[in-house]
Amino acid sequence: MTASTIENRDDLISYLHAAMALEHATIPTYLTAYYSLRSTTNSDAAHIIRVTAVEEMLHLTLVANVLNAIGGTPDLTSPGFVPSYPAYLPDGEDDFTVDLRPFSPEAVETFCKIERPGKAPTTSARLVRTSDHGRPLLVSSPTVEGMRFYSIGEFYAEIIDGLEQVAADDPGLFRGNRARQVGPEYFYSGGGVVIPVSDLESAQRALRFIADQGEGLDSGIYDGGGELAHYYRFQQLQLGRYYQVGDRPDAPSGPPLSIAWDDVYQVKVSARLADYPVGSELAGAARQFNADYGEFLALLTRAFSGQPCLLQDAVAYMFRLRDGFNRLVRNPLPGSDGRHAAPTFEIPTAVESDPDAIRTADDIAHAVTR
Amino acid sequence: MYVKFPDGAAKHTDPAAAAEVLYDAVIVGGGISGAIIASRLSDAGKRVLILEAGPAEDLTLRGYESYLDRFYSATSKDNQAPYPDAANAPMPRGTDARRILPGAPDASAYIVQSGPFATDTTYTRVLGGTTMHWEAKTLRMLPEDFQMRSLYGEGSDWPLTYEDLAPYYNEAEREIGVSADVADQAYLGITFDEGYVFPMRGLPLSYLDRMVADDLDGMPVELDGEKRELRVRPFPQGRNGIPNPHYDGGKGYVPRGAVSTYQVEVGGRCQGNNNCVPICPVQAKYNANKTLAVALQSGRVDLVAQAVAYRVHVDERTHRVTEIEYRRYDRPGSPGFTTMRARGRLFILAANAVENPRLMLASGLRSASGLMGRNFMDHAYLLAWALLPEVAGTFRGTNCTGGITDLRGGRFRRRQAAFSVDIHNDGWGWARGAPMTDLIDLVDAGGRYGESLRQGLVDRVSRQLQLAFMVEVPANPSNRITVDPAYTDDLGNMRPILTYDIPDYTMRGVAYARQLSKRIFARLGAEDHTEYDPNFWGYAGYGGEGYEIRGGNHLAGTHMMGRDPSTSVVDADQRCWDHENLYLVGGGSMPTVSTSNVTLTVAALCLRSVRAMLAQLDHETAQIDITTDGAAQSQLQEVAQ
Repeated sequence: MTASTIENRDDLISYLHAAMALEHATIPTYLTAYYSLRSTTNSDAAHIIRVTAVEEMLHLTLVANVLNAIGGTPDLTSPGFVPSYPAYLPDGEDDFTVDLRPFSPEAVETFCKIERPGKAPTTSARLVRTSDHGRPLLVSSPTVEGMRFYSIGEFYAEIIDGLEQVAADDPGLFRGNRARQVGPEYFYSGGGVVIPVSDLESAQRALRFIADQGEGLDSGIYDGGGELAHYYRFQQLQLGRYYQVGDRPDAPSGPPLSIAWDDVYQVKVSARLADYPVGSELAGAARQFNADYGEFLALLTRAFSGQPCLLQDAVAYMFRLRDGFNRLVRNPLPGSDGRHAAPTFEIPTAVESDPDAIRTADDIAHAVTR
Repeated sequence: MYVKFPDGAAKHTDPAAAAEVLYDAVIVGGGISGAIIASRLSDAGKRVLILEAGPAEDLTLRGYESYLDRFYSATSKDNQAPYPDAANAPMPRGTDARRILPGAPDASAYIVQSGPFATDTTYTRVLGGTTMHWEAKTLRMLPEDFQMRSLYGEGSDWPLTYEDLAPYYNEAEREIGVSADVADQAYLGITFDEGYVFPMRGLPLSYLDRMVADDLDGMPVELDGEKRELRVRPFPQGRNGIPNPHYDGGKGYVPRGAVSTYQVEVGGRCQGNNNCVPICPVQAKYNANKTLAVALQSGRVDLVAQAVAYRVHVDERTHRVTEIEYRRYDRPGSPGFTTMRARGRLFILAANAVENPRLMLASGLRSASGLMGRNFMDHAYLLAWALLPEVAGTFRGTNCTGGITDLRGGRFRRRQAAFSVDIHNDGWGWARGAPMTDLIDLVDAGGRYGESLRQGLVDRVSRQLQLAFMVEVPANPSNRITVDPAYTDDLGNMRPILTYDIPDYTMRGVAYARQLSKRIFARLGAEDHTEYDPNFWGYAGYGGEGYEIRGGNHLAGTHMMGRDPSTSVVDADQRCWDHENLYLVGGGSMPTVSTSNVTLTVAALCLRSVRAMLAQLDHETAQIDITTDGAAQSQLQEVAQ
């Protein structure tokens, strides 16, 4: 039995900051694939990706609620909050990176890996040693250097256990201002509701929901609310058929779905601003997108810091981001073999002139640790 | 949560096999009335057959999006634009309306209009019916609407009171999923049960509504000696909003999203798109397929589509309905069909207030009262339009979020029609085709392009204000649906013939509405651009002035309910006085159309009728032989000849 890596409230806060970064990190990946689809075709693929992206936004909100409940301060604007793509996510093996890809079999493969069920053989095997691949990790342990989690599910299991232990020692753990909680009125999708967090029970429920909705903690394909887990949603794209209630894993028996793999804007994989011709209109649009995205994250930070009603304004921001995507993905990127442009998600920092402005996801691990 | 449409349910019923089944109920029409009745009867363990005139595939999100694609690519964005027309079950279209010349009926479209007044009345003949294109306003009727004759000497009394219907309004609001706040909706005598809340919280007023309200609220009006103040009030809507946690004694409410055979997650909440009519892009707006899918999940409801009812057969001795003969076409656009029959203990015509009497009259069933098809009602819409002094964000939000409802009731109804007023978030769209007409004008007449065109369009449309006065039309036996063998459709069904005129009572309300609109515009500092074209198909004169009158597709009255078989077609349960196992349901049963859009009331009436149907089925134990029936055989031969 490995000792818990969470000993006190500060550790919890570190973990929850890391969890927010993790929940957010997959969103640019899903959005890039989603907006690479032509809007009038590929309905099946579009809806499957959209649902998952929307539910990642729910997860982000749920983590913010837990963090707020224990008196932490969510910050989506800290340097490195948005990873530099391609980035690694640990899922038991160091076998893939998370990229910004157009919709493709490779992209779906990645989605399945992000969301795949991953339960460690034993609780003591939850943490594994990071291999030295020289890439930033998103779900590294923020408190024990050189260790990472077997899977996202195990990462949340660690926090859920940690909450219980810390709460047992610290009756005042849930000291956050209730007014900072985001309520169910701000999220609308069949895929779950926002759970306001005020105590250990609601905090654990919120985090369990996240783990459950992603990969399923217990390897069932549907969660308690009848929702198909993300992993199985994506697997439908690989198997060409929808799951229906009663199906076993890997054997969907619902209606067939159709995919037009070629009816996609072939955007450059994990494009960088450096790929854009200097001074071009396209480069300007790419920079504008990144600036808009940065503003959007700043708005979310305010929304998670006591002004939840700002989430309504976020809807208009998201429409702006959609337009930004469309401006880029419809244009070929010069010098990239006919590949199209796409947002780079290199978010300008507020202190652009800061000589230390080169941020990587390594920084965030340190930043959130203390 | 999405609504699961059972895989294969649209096609699995073999009409030939169904002909050998004695159903507990045979329902004609897969719209909201048919869907609600099917769902409740199947809940109670009853076996139901639905005959749907339109074609039907299994409902999927992809299929729904094909409606959307049709709509996006259509030149005319009228309320049938998304829905394919099947020549064998044609749909009336708003664009069909033509000016009628005296003595020359207009037979150019499906509904033959003999005038004198032309209307653009439509209904949608696809699975889900007209709720596919409805706007989803869900106003309850006022208590006084049920007693128009006693209170005001106009129209007819209902055999029901508001209190009788109130529990079913509650249930209809659950079924449709209504977003509203009780505090906004309790007015002019409308009451709610103690502690009642709507399933979802009220949808917000649009920016335009609030701009109008800033200047309009508190405007004094005196009518027939009664003083009142106008205000902008939110409408209750059958569109998903924020669930009210206090609903159902604190159990809350889970919005029903899109319908599909596979799990999808859209439609959980209105996104504020501006084309509720003719189609909600995400199914946040209720459509009857949400109810129908649930009914089909029971496994006790069979559905046969492409099945147009041709004749209601009645036993001459008992007057009971023995079967419905229908024509099942092979393909939507080709003439081949097979004559089929459907048998049941109960028969329920849930087509609509035009198609129900059309079928009855085509079957020679005129009602002993002689009222079958008579007392056709719709709303008479008067539009008034103006430019506001400042940008008001027109075209933001859904089609309509707020309006003025203070003149829905009152003593003045002794003399003139009441109305409800919509503030249209889609500007002059209905009156003058905005924003397309503005665009064309800026390009063709203004020579604008690029940035200047974009800005020009914003400058023009975002100040547009259009008020739509929904004026009541009282029952009048001369306004009627008839049939004539001279007018048939491709399938040989007699087409509906509409004879319609706007009564003076309504025109007095119209004239008052126009005057009121002038006062409102003046109070808002708005520039009145209303101008009525004498060549408009629905141009009507009154008191030396002319008005453009449009239809509301709120069809009512053609098989009116009442207490007396000699003055009504159905009883308060919507059961036909003449045929004890036949129910005619829907707007046609309503004795007054008053000032609410009819669907919520139609739903409430159907929910109420289900009780009577179940009670009747409990007592219906008579043996009905369905394997050999001389009448049906001879009919088959007759058709074959």
